[in-house]
Amino acid sequence: MIVLQNAIDAISLGAIYALAALGIGLIFSIMRLINFAHGELIMVGGFMLYGLAGQPYIVMALAAILVVSILALGMERLAFRPLRRANPATLLIASFAVSYLVQHIVLITFGARPMGVDFMAQLGESVDIGGLRVPRLQIATIIVTLALMGGLALFFRRSRVGVQMRAAAEDFTMARLVGVRANLVFAVAFAISGVLASIVSLYLVTQTGSVSYKMGVSMVLIAFVASVIGGMGSLTGAALGGFLVGIVSVSLQAYLPVDMRPYRDAFVFLLFIAFLLWRPQGLLVRRADRERV
Amino acid sequence: MLAVGNLHVSYGSIVALRGVSLQVGEGEIVAVIGPNGAGKSTLLLTIAGIVRAKQGSIEFAGGSVTGAAPERLVSSGLSLVPEGRHIFGSLTVAENIALGATTRSDRAAIAADTERVLDLFPVLRERLRQRAGKLSGGEQQMLAIARALLAKPRLLLLDEPSLGLAPLVVKQVYDSIEELRRGGVTILIVEQSVGRALKVADRTYVLNSGAVTISGRSAELQGTAAFDTAYFGAMSGARAP
Repeated sequence: MIVLQNAIDAISLGAIYALAALGIGLIFSIMRLINFAHGELIMVGGFMLYGLAGQPYIVMALAAILVVSILALGMERLAFRPLRRANPATLLIASFAVSYLVQHIVLITFGARPMGVDFMAQLGESVDIGGLRVPRLQIATIIVTLALMGGLALFFRRSRVGVQMRAAAEDFTMARLVGVRANLVFAVAFAISGVLASIVSLYLVTQTGSVSYKMGVSMVLIAFVASVIGGMGSLTGAALGGFLVGIVSVSLQAYLPVDMRPYRDAFVFLLFIAFLLWRPQGLLVRRADRERV
Repeated sequence: MLAVGNLHVSYGSIVALRGVSLQVGEGEIVAVIGPNGAGKSTLLLTIAGIVRAKQGSIEFAGGSVTGAAPERLVSSGLSLVPEGRHIFGSLTVAENIALGATTRSDRAAIAADTERVLDLFPVLRERLRQRAGKLSGGEQQMLAIARALLAKPRLLLLDEPSLGLAPLVVKQVYDSIEELRRGGVTILIVEQSVGRALKVADRTYVLNSGAVTISGRSAELQGTAAFDTAYFGAMSGARAP
């Protein structure tokens, strides 16, 4: 029973990590940008919920999704589009700059102390499923994540823009040579990453009941690690990486000797360093990188 | 249809093109030949809007397109099949072909054009659902041309379509180029294989060290001493194949 309970914990945590990793991986696959400011999208989503506290939950959620997506589009337009021809290191530094800027605007406005937010607190209650006490939040997380991933998969397979984005991720210059509009592809990628980030905000705020200007930082680090583990540039890899990091974290939390549990994250990262030494390219390699010539 | 005037292109301090001018008339096949590093691919990439010129002008279909974005050029009827084919290997053959029509929205006409290119390259029809990366080199070249044709180009730029292909496959590719000419597509083709280029092209430009050294009707150039000198430059004494 305890094993099953842990499995559900692992999958739901993994689902959140996977959503965050997808946001990072999507932008990287198309732009070669590791967007550390993704964490700030998550954080701003949280503060939207804080600002709208008291409104119906659905209004709070939709507003957060909308505002974070617009913020993501704004980042693309103001910070990253002008640097499109720059090398990846410049883009990375720019993403740090955007991240600090947004963090400190929030810090100046709201202060450094975490603030409580009532958002769907009743999801913290558990339901009884065959003797298992499963928090509703976990069930909701798993369902929402699977729905989002299914939607994304459909979008990338079936829609014209989706296929154009896959083409741009594989060979950006060639995509432009068939007429793919670079600005459209970037804008759609950022809008999607904004939606993914805002869903992570909803989860974090529901789970912790609070917001702080640093709430996105650790999530973006984990998402980055997950997307590297999965194989940078592969979206399926990023999702798998997210689930894997979630599963490993929960397993260590459950099975490490009690006096070692405070150091769980050290063990998590140690394991992943070992994994990358063994398989530096990550779980999945982008197909384009091993194509016959 | 295409007029390039005094085109200068550099990559940092490396000069790739120094004052290239050329014209392509409606319905013509024009070849640009020259040794490795002569600037042939740079010329095509600049015309297609990927590389920016330092100086010079490009006119296409009567208007200036100097510095235009590639997606705009594609929708106005100029398509490049780059060297090395650059098919999207992780996408299916069908998706690759469909991407050729990115700038179009006339669904019925796109479907009809897709049928046409599949008739031109029947081998692709059998592999529509396969990943393009699994195709052989020759099939990939055909896919790259098919994809470019879906944009309904009035001018097709082909960069070394025979590169790395077996002789029999090269012949197939060139047969399809002849067929495109009969269909009224204007073609600017870059080749290293001199014999091939002279055979298919109405007119030929020889490019060496970033400049046009000689040009003229292909039939008249072939075998002349001036052509040999222009092509081989300093390597005097060598003979054209």
